[in-house]
Amino acid sequence: MNVHDEMSDNEVLCAASDSLSALPVASPPDVEAIMARGRARRRRRLSAVASVSVAAAAGTALALGLTGVLGPARTPGTIRTVSFTLVSNSDGTATLTINPKELLDPAALQNDLAHYGIPAKVTSGSFCSSDPAPAGFSQVVPGQPAGSGTGTPQPVVQPTITIDPSAMPAGAELSIGYFQLSSGEQQANVVLIDTSSYTCTSTPPDFPSPPAGSDESDSLGVRYSGPGPTGS
Amino acid sequence: MSNEQTEFAEFFRGSWEPCLRAVVAVVGSPQSAEDQVAEAFAKAWVSWRKVRRHPAPRAWVVRTALNTGASWWRRRRRELPLADHDVTALGDLGDGLDTTLLTALWRLPPRQREVIALRIFLDLDTDTIARQLGIEAGTVRMHLSRGVTALRHELTTAKNMEAGQ
Repeated sequence: MNVHDEMSDNEVLCAASDSLSALPVASPPDVEAIMARGRARRRRRLSAVASVSVAAAAGTALALGLTGVLGPARTPGTIRTVSFTLVSNSDGTATLTINPKELLDPAALQNDLAHYGIPAKVTSGSFCSSDPAPAGFSQVVPGQPAGSGTGTPQPVVQPTITIDPSAMPAGAELSIGYFQLSSGEQQANVVLIDTSSYTCTSTPPDFPSPPAGSDESDSLGVRYSGPGPTGS
Repeated sequence: MSNEQTEFAEFFRGSWEPCLRAVVAVVGSPQSAEDQVAEAFAKAWVSWRKVRRHPAPRAWVVRTALNTGASWWRRRRRELPLADHDVTALGDLGDGLDTTLLTALWRLPPRQREVIALRIFLDLDTDTIARQLGIEAGTVRMHLSRGVTALRHELTTAKNMEAGQ
């Protein structure tokens, strides 16, 4: 007898469910252990923020000491525009420093990130995210600037982040959303997105809460003073 | 324990097994799946205020667990995720298992496994699966149909062999 025609889709799925349900699996661990694991994740991230803030401050001071003139210019290893500076580091990472005195040029930043092998979607007035976000953000952006993430927002003077393109997951890219807020401040949010599945919104993510599809360790948000009435 | 902690604890206890079985169905290794699911629940707790409002929080956990595993594997091998590297030998899973379907399931492409796992363990409909995976509903139906067809073929072959003996 041929049984091929006797099994409906539901019967096949039920059979698969029965087989999988017969597999021995672990009982749930203590929920307190899970919550402690989550708290440990948060502590690790905050620790990274603290160490990178010191490094970012030092890097900013160095950059200001070496570059007195702002304007479109390219030197080997460095791309400098009026609104941002992108430095290619010897370890393969790139350091992005945003000039808060100028409005960000998203197209230029996206092109220049691509120049250093960093796939990114840079948007102004909108922000794209995947739900859930691809894992690995903390490897791609190993550390976050002061004023980002959780806690009381502390506007930063000159946002600086370091990006490691070698850690970029396959099929993912950085989403950098830039907003000019009605308060006169600027806000930038960064997250990994799945290039085949993401949505964009014109509403700035709540600060310091992470955007949809990511948690506090998988994204960063930074708010900084805008160009002001005499800016740009 | 705060109300938030109590709420998360209830979600965790009620969701652990279906989420774990769904991830096992995709990755093929109960040991790896257990760690990935535990990590996903830890992330869910960190982001609980957001996850609790998610339309399908269990699916959020499963997707996060699978992303965690994919990222871990990419970091180790710099290869595409969810190959058969991690599938546990069925003999290691205990006696008395009907291995025909399990073997067939873990031979399916990852996306087909994922769609089937979300359907049978999280009881999600096609549209919800499509939203969770970020693909079209028609693509979900295609993956489900192909996966079920392959499983039916394996079952049919096994039963016909039994009948012929």
